[in-house]
Formats: sequence, structure tokens, C-alpha cells
Amino acid sequence: MSVIYEKIYNVERDDYANAGLVSSLIKQSLRTIGISPAVSRRVAVAVYEAEINMIIHAYGGTITLQISDDGMIRLIAKDKGPGIPDIEKALTPGFSTASKKAMELGFGAGMGLPNIKRNADEFSIESSPAGTTLDLKFQERE
Amino acid sequence: MRRTSISYTLSHCVKCLKCVKACPVSAISLVDNRISINEDRCINCGQCIKACHSKGLVAQGSSLEKIKDYEYTVCLVPSAMWSVCKTIEEAERLYYAIKQLGFNEVIDLSPVEGQLKHETQRICENLENGNGIAYFCPAVKWLIETNYPMLLDNLVPLNYASEVKAKEIRRRENGDKIGIFLLCECEAKLALAKEPYKNLTYQVDHALAIIDVFPAIREHLKDGREKVRFCRSGLQASNPSVIVQKQEYLVADGFDKINEILSMEEFNLLDSFKMLYLFPCFNGCIGGHLLWGNSYLNRNNIDALTGEENVPTTDYPIEDLYKEVASSTSDSRSFKEKMEEFHKVNEILDHLPHYDCSACGMQTCRIMAEEIARGNKKLSDCRVLAASKGKVQ
Ligand SMILES: Nc1ncnc2c1ncn2[C@@H]1O[C@H](COP(=O)(O)OP(=O)(O)OP(=O)(O)O)[C@@H](O)[C@H]1O
Ligand code: SF4
Ligand code: SF4
Ligand code: SF4
Ligand SMILES: [Mg+2]
Repeated sequence: MSVIYEKIYNVERDDYANAGLVSSLIKQSLRTIGISPAVSRRVAVAVYEAEINMIIHAYGGTITLQISDDGMIRLIAKDKGPGIPDIEKALTPGFSTASKKAMELGFGAGMGLPNIKRNADEFSIESSPAGTTLDLKFQERE
Repeated sequence: MRRTSISYTLSHCVKCLKCVKACPVSAISLVDNRISINEDRCINCGQCIKACHSKGLVAQGSSLEKIKDYEYTVCLVPSAMWSVCKTIEEAERLYYAIKQLGFNEVIDLSPVEGQLKHETQRICENLENGNGIAYFCPAVKWLIETNYPMLLDNLVPLNYASEVKAKEIRRRENGDKIGIFLLCECEAKLALAKEPYKNLTYQVDHALAIIDVFPAIREHLKDGREKVRFCRSGLQASNPSVIVQKQEYLVADGFDKINEILSMEEFNLLDSFKMLYLFPCFNGCIGGHLLWGNSYLNRNNIDALTGEENVPTTDYPIEDLYKEVASSTSDSRSFKEKMEEFHKVNEILDHLPHYDCSACGMQTCRIMAEEIARGNKKLSDCRVLAASKGKVQ
């Protein structure tokens, strides 16, 4: 298995005005390639939630889209902190520490991480005060 | 295969490329100095016609002369058409005048539209999760197939009112010999008939553009009236301002708005709604491009038309209302082939300016890169590249 396509996108902290932009670009790339609708939808939902979390909870970071020759679509969302103190808690549906501002904009139901996990074929999360990394894999048929 | 209902007149075209830029599915380009529409991609949305200020593009239906090809003819009239009438008397005059065009029967579709509206709501309310996308407009369905394939599963699998009625007519004795005509308020519906665009899978024989037959109708408006009553639910179905007022229904009109909604739904951001009811035309079908009148005023006429007597909706068995929706698009390429093509196009795209100016006749640099990859164009056909080279020399 080798990576045949890679693209790295920047996500800025508190950039509410562009929330969803990176997800839209990734979604568009998948449609241009012709990735199956079912897999694309799962990727779209997951990358959107990851992007928003980076904007509202973290100090920004990058989202990397990788596609391998065996049809593996991988998303790596890596931010610059402050990290998630209790990952298990964060993964609980309904748990949220969203700020007042984020709540006013309609975020903060505490469903983002659980949705990401449900939509990805493989899900891993690592976090320290230096940053959180989500590593998501989706399998497109060859 | 679906054919486009848009036709082009070279002598009117000023090559302004407005239509190329307006197309939501990149189906138009300027090739060899004339506009060319990709029939496979066109969704008959009419955005190009709206963008053209030079009468270069029009939507055409069949000619009324075709009535003579049949011994018995039926004309189906959509709700939207009645909405131009301010009173029931005007509607009765219109009904009479349409009949004078030479039809044996004129059938108002509002009772069928009403039943389809109720059935759509029933289906959506019973969904366990997510929402259903209601598409009385065929262009919505084709837009989703082309630009939002992830949402194909959301489409409510109901047929068009004209088809439901036409199927019933076909079941009559000698039904296959009856000439079925449909009055169309928009470009999209012109494609829902065998003629003039050879869309042979439909039951309707001929699609007529309302504006084309209007002069003939007008001649008879003063001649008489014939009793007709409408179904309120059906009249409401073509009008977003009155259709349904419920928290869990999202009703929207206008192409930009429905694109925004569909993009949001791809991220599952509209889960709290049960139904997305979408009209590409402002004010819904009563704002159809081939209908006359002021749709902002017309939307107020419905009460006057249904105040006196309200015709009940039809009660076709449910199976007569359904229609299969393609579950996925027909891309037969393997993953490997898709990636190879994507790479090839991206490599070419790296050499193009990314201005998406359409000066080369293609909508965007990506479309240009795809054409170059297919061998139909060369890098030097990019006007921007050619111009900057000229400067350097
Ligand atoms: N990248 C991140 N950096 C720091 N904290 C995070 C990050 N992502 C999630 N969290 C923490 O995990 C909690 C749960 O995240 P989750 O996405 O599930 O819900 P939410 O973002 O609060 O609300 P929703 O996603 O439903 O709008 C967040 O409230 C936040 O405390
Ligand atoms: S009708 Fe719509 S899809 Fe067809 S060419 Fe015109 S703008 Fe494009
Ligand atoms: S909009 Fe299109 S068809 Fe109309 S004049 Fe411009 S290029 Fe020609
Ligand atoms: S920059 Fe060149 S390739 Fe891109 S749209 Fe303009 S003319 Fe066409
Ligand atoms: Mg979140």
C-alpha cells in the first residue's frame, strides 16, 4: 500500500467566517475523483466535525488528506493544542466545553467526536497539551 | 438518456460567455466559436437562459400542430398555471380557452399534486432519522444526481404529477392511442415528455411551453367559460410561501439557496429537519420561466381560487405514485482509473493560471484541463497563458 495523493490544508483558530471551507474543498475533491457517494458522505461528515473542533476548541492546525492505491482514504487532523484532558469524556455523546460564542453559533451539542468515530472505518485519537491528532481511515472499494 | 431542452441561435449570440459561467453543472462551453451544450450533463435548469441577455438560448416545446396527429387528445395543466388567475371566473375562462386550442379534454393536475404533496409529507415524517428531499421539480433531482450524489438516498421516490396522471390515461380503453400533452411552466418540465426531445421513457407525448401557446390561448379568453374547481393542497404544492408551515420542514426557493442547503445536508447539518422542500425557481413553480405574470402577486391568488369549493386530492393506490430513484451514479471506472485520470488532470491544471475566467470557452481551468487531458484542447488555448507569453516576447 502506498500513498498516491496527498494534500495538506491549514485551519486557523477562531476563523468562524471560514468554518467548513476545508471540508468543502475535500468533499469537492472526492466528487471530482468519483469516490463512491456512501464513502464520500462519511468522510464529509467526519472532516467537517474535525475542522470545526479545530477552530472552536483548538489553536488551529492542519488537515491532511491522503489517498492510497488500495482505496484507503485517510484524514489526519493535527492541531496545536491545548489538548483534551480526558479523551474518554470528550468521546461521550453530549459532552461539550464549547464557549458561549460557539454555542451561539450553533455548535456545542457534544456530538462531533462521537459522529466522527461512528463514520470512520478506523479511528484513533491522541492528545497532549501540545496538540490533538485525529487519525481517520475510510475504505473505498478498489 | 435525458436530452437538453435548451436550443441555441448562433446569429443572436454575442459570445459573452455569461451562459458558460452560469451553468451549475458545467454543461456549457464555447467550442469552435459557438455554444455547445453537453446533453449528458445538462439538468434543464434554465440558468443559462436567464443569464443570456441576447436571446441566444431558448427553451422550446412541441408545436400545437401536433394535436392533429391524434384522434383524441388530453391536455394536462399544472397548478402553477392556474395561479395567474385572480378569480375563479378568470380560471374558468382560461380552462375554456385551453380547450379551444383543440383538446378533447383538459385536466387540472392540482388533485394529483395534492396527493403527492401529502404522500411526500407522510414519507418524510415516518423517516427514522435524517430527512427526505422533496423534488416536484425534476431539475432538483437531476442537480442532485450530478452535483450531490451523496444525497441520492435522501430523495423521496415519488413520480411527477404529469406521469401519474398520464399512466392512468394510458390504462383507459385505447389509452395508448390518446395524445397526451403537458403545459410546462419551466425548461425542466419540457424534458418530461417523449417529444420534442425524445425522452421516450415518459408517458406524456408532447411538452408544450406555456409562453409559446399563450398567444393562441389569449384569443379565446373572452369567448366563454367552463366550470372548473381546484384542489387547495395541490395549488399550494407549487408555491413555497404557502406550501406547509411546520418547524420540521425546510422550504426554500432560488438556485443559490438550494445549493447552500444541499451542501449543508452533505455534512449532515440539517438533521433536525424531516423534509427539505426545494424549488430552484423563485416563488416555486409559479415563478417558472415559461409562465407569464408576476409571481409575487400570483402567489396571493390561491385563496381566491379555492375559497368556494375545494376538490379533494386524488386517491391513487400508493404504488401508482412511486418511482425508482437511481441509487448511485453510473460511473463504471475502477478506483485505479479514477485516480489516474485525477492525477493527469491535476498535472495539467498546475500549468494553468487558476483564474477560472472562461475566456478559453470552458467554464473553469479544471474543465479546460480535462479537455486537454482528453486531447481536445492544448495548453496554448488558454487565453491568459497565450496573452502573457505574447507580452514576454
Ligand atoms: N481539537 C480539540 N482540541 C481541544 N479540545 C477538543 C478538540 N476536539 C474536541 N475537544 C473537546 O471535546 C469536547 C467534545 O467534542 P465534540 O466535537 O464531541 O463536541 P462539541 O464540539 O463540544 O460540540 P459539537 O461538535 O456537537 O458542536 C469539546 O467540547 C471539547 O472540550
Ligand atoms: S439548462 Fe442548466 S444545466 Fe443545462 S446547460 Fe443551461 S445552465 Fe447548464
Ligand atoms: S449568454 Fe451564451 S448564448 Fe447568450 S450571448 Fe452570451 S455566449 Fe451567447
Ligand atoms: S485561465 Fe485559461 S484555462 Fe483558465 S478559464 Fe481562463 S482561459 Fe480558460
Ligand atoms: Mg465538535
